[in-house]
Amino acid sequence: MAEREHLIRRGIFRTVVIILFLILVGNIFVMMVPQHAYYKDQALKNRQVRFRVRAPRGLIKDRNGIILADNTYIADITVPGSSLGSAGPDTTLSRLINWFDLPREDTLQRLREQKEAGGRGGLVLVSNATMPQIAAVEERGRQLPGVRVEARPRRRYLFGELFAHVIGYVGEVVTADLDTTGESTGYKIGDMIGKQGAETALEDRLRGGSGTKLEEVNASGRVVGRRPVWLQEVTPGLDVTLSISLEYQHRMAEAIGERTACGVALDTRTGEVLAAFSHPAFDPNLMTVPITADQWNDLSGNPDKPFFNRIVQATYPPASLYKPVTSLAGLANGVIGTSSVLEPCLGGWSFGNRYFRCWKRAGHGLVDHTEAIVQSCDTFYYQLGLRLEIDQLAAAARSLGLGRVCTNIFADEAAGNIPDTAWYDKRFGKGKWTRGVLLNNSIGQGEILVTPIQMALLTARLATSGKTPDPVFVVNPRSPAKMPEALPYRERDLAWVRRSMELTVSEGTGKAAALDSIAVAGKTGTAQNPHGDDHAWFMCFAPVGDPQVAMVVIVENAGHGSSEAAPVAGQWLRTFFAEGDSLSPPPSPVTTNGRGH
Amino acid sequence: MSFLSFLFPPGDRWIFLAWILLCLISLAVLWSVTEPIHGPYHQLDPGVAKGIFFRQVFWAVIGYMALLVASRVPLRYLDNIAIPLFLFTVVLLVFILLAGPVIGGARRWLAIGPIRFQPSELAKVTFILVTANILGRSVEEGRGLVAAMVSFLVMAVPMVLVLREPDLGTSLVFLAVWVGMVFWYGFPGVLLLGAGSAAISAVIMFYSESVAKEAWPWGLYVLLILVVLYFMRLSILSKVVLLAVNIGFGIGIPFFWEKLKGYQQERILTFFDPSRDAFGSGYQAIQSKVAIGSGGLFGTHYLQGTQKGLAFLPERHTDFIFSVVGEELGFFGAVILLGLFLVIILRGIDYGAAARRPFGRFVAIGVVTYFTFHVVVNVAITTGLLPVTGLPLPLISYGGSNLLVSSLLLGLLLNVSSRTFEN
Repeated sequence: MAEREHLIRRGIFRTVVIILFLILVGNIFVMMVPQHAYYKDQALKNRQVRFRVRAPRGLIKDRNGIILADNTYIADITVPGSSLGSAGPDTTLSRLINWFDLPREDTLQRLREQKEAGGRGGLVLVSNATMPQIAAVEERGRQLPGVRVEARPRRRYLFGELFAHVIGYVGEVVTADLDTTGESTGYKIGDMIGKQGAETALEDRLRGGSGTKLEEVNASGRVVGRRPVWLQEVTPGLDVTLSISLEYQHRMAEAIGERTACGVALDTRTGEVLAAFSHPAFDPNLMTVPITADQWNDLSGNPDKPFFNRIVQATYPPASLYKPVTSLAGLANGVIGTSSVLEPCLGGWSFGNRYFRCWKRAGHGLVDHTEAIVQSCDTFYYQLGLRLEIDQLAAAARSLGLGRVCTNIFADEAAGNIPDTAWYDKRFGKGKWTRGVLLNNSIGQGEILVTPIQMALLTARLATSGKTPDPVFVVNPRSPAKMPEALPYRERDLAWVRRSMELTVSEGTGKAAALDSIAVAGKTGTAQNPHGDDHAWFMCFAPVGDPQVAMVVIVENAGHGSSEAAPVAGQWLRTFFAEGDSLSPPPSPVTTNGRGH
Repeated sequence: MSFLSFLFPPGDRWIFLAWILLCLISLAVLWSVTEPIHGPYHQLDPGVAKGIFFRQVFWAVIGYMALLVASRVPLRYLDNIAIPLFLFTVVLLVFILLAGPVIGGARRWLAIGPIRFQPSELAKVTFILVTANILGRSVEEGRGLVAAMVSFLVMAVPMVLVLREPDLGTSLVFLAVWVGMVFWYGFPGVLLLGAGSAAISAVIMFYSESVAKEAWPWGLYVLLILVVLYFMRLSILSKVVLLAVNIGFGIGIPFFWEKLKGYQQERILTFFDPSRDAFGSGYQAIQSKVAIGSGGLFGTHYLQGTQKGLAFLPERHTDFIFSVVGEELGFFGAVILLGLFLVIILRGIDYGAAARRPFGRFVAIGVVTYFTFHVVVNVAITTGLLPVTGLPLPLISYGGSNLLVSSLLLGLLLNVSSRTFEN
């Protein structure tokens, strides 16, 4: 081999090798020096994951500090946002969908919505994961890059149905919650928000503030054991104390039993609601996780409407419970005295070409004003009504708290209806209605509609001569109490109403609510129901001399107030005043997690 | 010869020193890689077992003995037994294809008791010896194209057998080493041009076909070839053959593409666009670049690399060990490592020119090409310049066969270097 040729080859070979090495070194240099910051950042992103930490919601307690709603933790299985590209799910996501046997299209659609809503972290594939699901992910962690099991606080309602309508429940935010006013509400997809009752009214206090932390993760996306860096600390939600007492609420539910009914009891001195129960109710624990189709159908298909909050949403004609209102209107306007006697009751009253029946077909005969209340004589009140103007009657009703929303925690509270001239003019046209409406109005029928909470307030105001403020459901934080306006009635007229109601219980239609040692004053009512059987009403307060508690019970489609509603009130009052030995042990918290399957 | 001098191989001291340093770097990096994963989930992610480090120590000792032996065996003796040795390896390669155990979807291993061995590694040694034998003899007898052709056929045998295992990376080693040795033999420039341009043609056609989805880049290339050929002083026949080879390879590539395995196609496509499968075959490339790039000039310091430490780097103790070097030892560490390889390669080229006998020259060049190919391709893969294909970094990556064969080959190089001026 020629020496020169050899040297040329050696030169070529060396040159090629050196060029190749220069390319390698040059490339490494570019990566490690000019692009170093970029890769350093990538490496940091590789191992630092920003976690949003949801705040535990404030506790809800009863007036004695017993916890009614607290928080537990449940696990969500999340996948990284990048696992759902425009082309569809990646292999990891597809694998998980198969493992968990999820409906593929529905799941992908749900995840897509989550992604579009702009959640920064992972997408929640499985909410409230079961132990086998968690175990499946934990065991195969290395094959599931980015898949995490994340703990999340979950609301727990310790007494289930008992407070369903008062406390309400929380549920996942919907798109409208995320941006209702155009400004940031701080809600992220998957957050919980109050959907009903106190949970909604006190949302701002209960929710707290979520925190953000940076955690170091390894290649499997698992948090490794170093201290997180908190970018923002979690602010736990603040606690809330209700005016309701667990024990009184439980007694109310016991007294109501299986009836479709509602009972409300107020502290007459403060307006604090001591018990408020609407039956049938639902288990709010079912609402904090996606409810199953079967559970939903059971609840929504129930003809007695468990979701219907009868305390504030249901409106009924007050029927005979209205008679003291008509009496006060008559007394205040000087059209009648407390011992006046009107035409005798022969089972009804003719007005125009219509005959208005008294509930007692045989008639009450000659009754005075007091007798009329005690015996609940309709005929007497037809005549009294005809002596009044419709606006005088409406004013009396409003002065006692009817015809308006009277609480501040229920978003969907009904105002009821107290018709007056303006209302009838609007409804039927000017001059197209007659004073005949007064006959129905005077006995609390016709177009008058009231809610149980309004009637409880009315009862309390009768008991305290109007000193009871509007109903209060929350004592901490306490909203500033607005002192009620003084009632435009003479004290002796009010005292006469109370005396009449006392007689109603002691010897009239309300005997079923009488107690052994405490004087109870009350009034029964039977509301005509065009859709079915009459609703049974009863209102009462006690003790008569020094009123402490006012309560109202309505039992739907049950018949007469005297036989159906008054006994419920009686049972509750007996336990309230600790009479008898019928006390069952106080309730203990429910321990189900509401999964229900 | 004293016992102490027996422990030192004869020949070039720099090459031996480079071998020692590379082995020490390998052990240091493997110690770091086998440190436990940070955090409480070690039971889920056990990381790389410490045993790997100790096994590499064991193989380094074996490799040292192999180096000593290879550096002292008379070259003439090796020249004589090259052909039988090669035939023996071919038999082994055929045998494992027919009856070898399937491990990880491939038949690459020969298991004798507890020891697993890759005949393809042995084949690298015997292939270098047999090619040196053929080409060396041809040089002594007066060069001819026939010897080059024969050597090509000889190369094709292990290459095809290894490709069938399948092991694309290793099969390409045979091709690369052959190109290096035949270049040294004195291959006609026109044939080199033909082979080189054909390869470029194939790559461009592939790019047109599967990435750009348009034919014009390849058309442009063919036009360029035509222009170049027009100005070159070549016989018409040569020009026609050159053009035909270019067009043939270009058109042939889609058929070859069809023959590739799904995962191989995927890897090549992912090379052109790593993000197309960020958690699949692109994951290694992306994570490796992140690890190296985050190293900076001085690295994150020994044992401190987070990409390695948190298990972001797959194959971090084998094919992607260079990423750990980059992350923990930084640019300077990586350059020192490459510099040690460059010492071996450049001095090896010198001995390829200076060795007295042709057989020794070709052995030296074979060894040099082996190291060049392995180092350049491995580093290019870990830095994202080439698609991911399994190829270890000689002496550094964990693996007994790799360390043993690399040491043995360096022993041969030392052997050649010690006989430069021998008569």
